[in-house]
Amino acid sequence: MSEGKPDRKSFLTTAAITSAGLVTGFPAILPSRAFAADTLRVGLNEEYTGVYAAYAQSETRGAQMAMDAWNARGGVMGGTKVELVQADNNNNPGTSVEKTRQLVLVQKCAVLMGTINSADSLAVSGAANALNTFFIDSGGHADAVTGEKCAYSSFRTCHSTWMETHATGYSLAKKFGKKWYMIIPDYAFGHALQAGYHDVAKKIGVEFVGEDLTPLGTTDFSPYLTKVLAAKPDLLLVLVQGDDFVNCLKQTTQYGIVGKVPIGGPQVELEAVWALPKEARVGYWGVEWYYKGASVLGSGNKLADDFIAAYQKKYGQPPTARSAFGYITMDRLLWTVNEAKTTNAAKMARALEGAKFRSIWEGEGYYRDVDHQLMWPMWVGQIRAQGTADDKYDIFDIVDRQEAEAIEQSVAEKKAVCHMNWPT
Amino acid sequence: MRMSNRAGLIAALALLILLLFMPQIAPHIGLAVSVCTEVLLYAIAAMAVNLLIGYTGVLPFGNAAFFGLGAYGAGLTIQYFHVGFIASIVLGTIAALVGAVLIGPFLLRRRGIYFALLMIAFGQVFYFIAYRFTDITGGEDGMNFARPAVEGLGLVLKDQQFYYAMLLVFALVMIGFLFLVRSPFGRTLLAIKENETRARYLGLNTDRFIFVALLISAIMEGLAGACYGLSIMFAYPLMLDWHNSGNIVLMTILGGSGTIFGPFIGAIIFVIGQEILSTHWIWWQIPLGALFVACVLGFPKGILGTILDAVERRRGGFAYEARDTVHGTVYSEREIQP
Amino acid sequence: MAHIAPEIFNGLILGAFYAVVAIGLSLIMNLTGTINMAHGSFMTLAGYLAFALVSAGTSYWFALAVAPILTLVVGVLMERTLIRPLYKRDPVYSLLLTFGLSLIAEETYRLVWGDNGVPFSPPQSLQSAVSLGFIEFPAYRLFIAGVLLVIIVALVIFLQRTRVGLRLRAAVQDNEMIAALGTNTQLLYMMNFGLGILLAGVAGVLASGMLGLNPQTGNALLMPAFVTVIVGGMGSLFGAVAGGMLIGLTISVVTLYIPAASEIAMYVLMAVILLVRPRGLFGEEGIFG
Repeated sequence: MSEGKPDRKSFLTTAAITSAGLVTGFPAILPSRAFAADTLRVGLNEEYTGVYAAYAQSETRGAQMAMDAWNARGGVMGGTKVELVQADNNNNPGTSVEKTRQLVLVQKCAVLMGTINSADSLAVSGAANALNTFFIDSGGHADAVTGEKCAYSSFRTCHSTWMETHATGYSLAKKFGKKWYMIIPDYAFGHALQAGYHDVAKKIGVEFVGEDLTPLGTTDFSPYLTKVLAAKPDLLLVLVQGDDFVNCLKQTTQYGIVGKVPIGGPQVELEAVWALPKEARVGYWGVEWYYKGASVLGSGNKLADDFIAAYQKKYGQPPTARSAFGYITMDRLLWTVNEAKTTNAAKMARALEGAKFRSIWEGEGYYRDVDHQLMWPMWVGQIRAQGTADDKYDIFDIVDRQEAEAIEQSVAEKKAVCHMNWPT
Repeated sequence: MRMSNRAGLIAALALLILLLFMPQIAPHIGLAVSVCTEVLLYAIAAMAVNLLIGYTGVLPFGNAAFFGLGAYGAGLTIQYFHVGFIASIVLGTIAALVGAVLIGPFLLRRRGIYFALLMIAFGQVFYFIAYRFTDITGGEDGMNFARPAVEGLGLVLKDQQFYYAMLLVFALVMIGFLFLVRSPFGRTLLAIKENETRARYLGLNTDRFIFVALLISAIMEGLAGACYGLSIMFAYPLMLDWHNSGNIVLMTILGGSGTIFGPFIGAIIFVIGQEILSTHWIWWQIPLGALFVACVLGFPKGILGTILDAVERRRGGFAYEARDTVHGTVYSEREIQP
Repeated sequence: MAHIAPEIFNGLILGAFYAVVAIGLSLIMNLTGTINMAHGSFMTLAGYLAFALVSAGTSYWFALAVAPILTLVVGVLMERTLIRPLYKRDPVYSLLLTFGLSLIAEETYRLVWGDNGVPFSPPQSLQSAVSLGFIEFPAYRLFIAGVLLVIIVALVIFLQRTRVGLRLRAAVQDNEMIAALGTNTQLLYMMNFGLGILLAGVAGVLASGMLGLNPQTGNALLMPAFVTVIVGGMGSLFGAVAGGMLIGLTISVVTLYIPAASEIAMYVLMAVILLVRPRGLFGEEGIFG
């Protein structure tokens, strides 16, 4: 074994030369990035690859439309145009953090928005905060973003998990009754939903006739569904998400639950519903925004009408709640820069906190001081088996609306968990 | 201990100088400093895998479990026990070591394909644990934690300082690895990789050696993971998943298993390549997968391995044995190099 | 207690799935030492091809028959071009190569059919619930159980009673010998791989109707299939079936009583069995059947 070893010299020499060459050679193959001077660059950090890709695209479209509208009016701060820089976090928190740093430190983005997956939202919120950069979470629902992990530089547009459970909880209890059966996915999101519904139960006196935690990777809900029929609840809450959601609903049809027991849940995305097979198009679900309906848009809401018409014209489909998140977030982000006349995160945060505004829904909204959560209503809708006669996309029948203050935790409750680290 | 070779020393020094100036060079090629840190840490992880594939001849396809254990170990101790910077790294590494001690005995019963399957399976157990115990680990949301101050200095390391700290760690690990593979222990591992039955006949308790190799590998992997967690100030279950394992194994093989610097080169290419690819193509997983395929079919010895082989061949010597394709199992015959 | 009966039945069906996938994996692993991390991707491919056929207007039954065959063709092409060079080498390379293929496959499915899954349902005739006396059971699952049973029986007959089967089993025991005796081993490897993929294909189409069809459908079945191979023992057809049933039952029953533990249950079972019998329940070195 002592023969045939290469000597050290060739090892290390070649190694050193190779690595040096590779590293310094990279500039040659990297495309040059031309930085336009004197623009405001907004970093959009989204899950462009992976299961949330469709949502990421909707959010981006909404954001782009808002940005184009501001640029058409002359930009921000008296003439500075706005530029969107997209980054794909690949639905991975590590990548989310790296992209955040890249957007801010290398691509010189002064402000950030985006994320859909809770893990990514938390990661980006932390990373942005470490860089003292203003960030609005457009689509990540985790309570912690405006709860224990809140930060002075982070805001959130979409509803929190708490708001989702309370909106649907109050609404569906009123409609169907107070004996519930819950099927809960056994991971963080599911636990958060479960806790939310337990709180609703405490507040309005709901009895759980059954609660099942389904393990990670469950695609087969038969064990639980057979129990549901036996328990005879007023309402079956299905909290599973994604493809599990589709399977569960398909199986409720196969097991004959549909028609016997009303089905509901915290929230469903329009993009997902459009892809549901016929037999899974059932139930009452939380809807964060919808492109039709007086209780959502009001009447004569020009901002909403223009947005919806323009979106439909440009993309051939109606805007979804995700599109709305993107639009509202970008719109408010640019408004804040314009208002505060700076991209300094603390000053921007102070400017945006509590500022009431009207947007593409009926009523006023504001990002709350205590936690930076956007306070806006949430709706409940029933899925139609297929669209209406003149609109195949219109598959929600909005049946209820719940106001923000009633469905989110109180200021006092939030004060106990959210401690913002304002810079001195 | 043949560090006496002057040219070798100069080459190593040149590399070191290059790495020292990376924070200055990086922005000019469109990279944030933290990506360079990521390269260093994944290089350590790839070296850990290299120890097993290239020097011991076993397939560690669940290694990311140790990486993740390191990250979670650091994160959890910071979150719940408020430990300092160095302590969190040490504790994270220990967490990985404990993991290896727990599953090692199961893995040792088999070799080859079975070993790989078992390691994948046990790796997934840790993944489920991280995912399931949401109250402690945050579940799929992961856990955010702040970078603690360095004990004694009272200073929280920022990006560049952190990079240099990691460079120091990297250098120490590299030196340690060099000593390890040159030591009698390292030689024994190579003997086992070469032909385990023969090693056994010589009276060696191969199980014990492989176990120790596994532990050392886990320590390195855990160290890398703990530092990576501190770099992104986050720990999440996907760190433990077998896709991450696959990526790290690819880095090792791509760069050249059985060489000292191969994993480092593999890490550079992978991390930076992924960075560039994902910026330009939404469907970058396709070229990534193609890279796996091309590397396996075309460059089985990895980039460095192939280069060193070419150098050797011109000198007319035998190819360095560790660089050969990994020792086969019962079902494949090892070819003798001409 | 009435709950447990449907659970046992479900467990057996799930087990049959795992068994069929595990047999496919095992066939490939056993003969050529190739660890096929892309096995799940082939299952998904079959599902998508079936979906494409049905969308183009064919009947479900036609798709069920044809999609696995198309998948088989793709699999054989892969084997000829990419995997054959790896036979002489260590399994780590096949692991890495097939892992790379699975990445390419998943991304391709996303590009062609979208990220979020497509609606693929069994035909109306199978959509109802059949009354089995004490419980109502989805007809589709009974159908799946039937098909899987037929497959397993057909496989046993094929391996035990046909000449090709005989050669396959002989090759697993000693492929040098069988080459020396004049069998075209390359052709045999190809057929073996093809068979494994065909099984994956059928499982994929059936699973898509039950579990939903998205870019990751096949991967969800892959890990339990690996565990089945380990538990049942490599090299044993009976082991794969028994192992699959055992795992399927374990998961179902544990799900009923301690849902939280059900994912881990599979691995705990694996660990316990390995402690007692490191070869797996019925594993033999190299003998198949």
